[in-house]
Amino acid sequence: MRAETLKGHLDGILLAVLEPAPLHGYAIMEAVRVRSGGQVDLPTGTVYPALRRLERAGLLAADWSEAGGRKRRVYELTSAGRRALDTERGSWRDFSAVVSALLQPAPLAVNPS
Amino acid sequence: MNGPGTPQCPAVEHYLAEVAARLPGPRQAHSGIVTELRSGLLDAVDGYESAGLPPAEAAAAAIREFGDPGPVADGFLPEITASQARRVVMLMLATGPLVGLLWLATAVASHLPVHVAMSWQWNPLGTGFHLIAAAVAVTTLAGAAGIAVTGRLTRWLPPRPRHAPLTAAIAGFGAVGADGLGLVLLAAELAVAPGKLSPLLAAAAAAASVARMLLAVRAARRCLSLRATLTSR
Repeated sequence: MRAETLKGHLDGILLAVLEPAPLHGYAIMEAVRVRSGGQVDLPTGTVYPALRRLERAGLLAADWSEAGGRKRRVYELTSAGRRALDTERGSWRDFSAVVSALLQPAPLAVNPS
Repeated sequence: MNGPGTPQCPAVEHYLAEVAARLPGPRQAHSGIVTELRSGLLDAVDGYESAGLPPAEAAAAAIREFGDPGPVADGFLPEITASQARRVVMLMLATGPLVGLLWLATAVASHLPVHVAMSWQWNPLGTGFHLIAAAVAVTTLAGAAGIAVTGRLTRWLPPRPRHAPLTAAIAGFGAVGADGLGLVLLAAELAVAPGKLSPLLAAAAAAASVARMLLAVRAARRCLSLRATLTSR
């Protein structure tokens, strides 16, 4: 699946992946890979700036965590983030319902005789 | 594995240096970004090594997956710009009242007719105060706007990364205006009635204003430069 088609939904995807537990950048991308059944490999160049943007908007909280001599930035969903995620889910549900309906083959006209 | 001081992977360090070279502004502003990218890259290298790749190939694969240094660095421009703009605005808003208090103390200690100056009757001191008040208002409003576009409200606002550095630059120039006018008034007072001024306080207020002006000019220019980089890349 081409990553560009997911661009508009990147924020929602990142929020959703962080819903169960806080994660750092690499673990987030691994989670996306696993959850999408290997179909989605997020381009790293866009993920790290997106995480910082979500942090600035107050949807994520971040902290440094040092393990094995490596300093990682761990991101956590805030309550505002959870609300934003719910909104994203609702929007996607509505959007995909409309598009699915439109993509259906046109119903055959019934002959009234 | 390696000691704490040694770079764990020269190829990764080389790549990070290339990314860092393309990040604008002072190095301390983006040390956090580089640290985060380093751990992400090293985790990716570990991932490839556990999948069976030898170290050199694992590093190459991780770097390739990350992307070219140019676009990766460019992705961070809005964040670096917003962070810098917010810092400048906070600095202007924090130093303003402090410098203002020094000037007020100077005026009071020097028994300057502050109440006359504040009145609406035309008088030179009054005009000066009103102009300073206008400059302060500009800084305050621009500062408030800067805080708004670099914080939680970004969730609701459309992404316009060029606005933040502009508000910070305006706040900076407003501060330059206020401080400059203060110094002009001081010079005028010195020319007219030098003995009246309380020397220590006046010197302190003047020094504080000069320092703030220099800080503000440098900060405003840096923000405008970041804004230009944002536009060009």
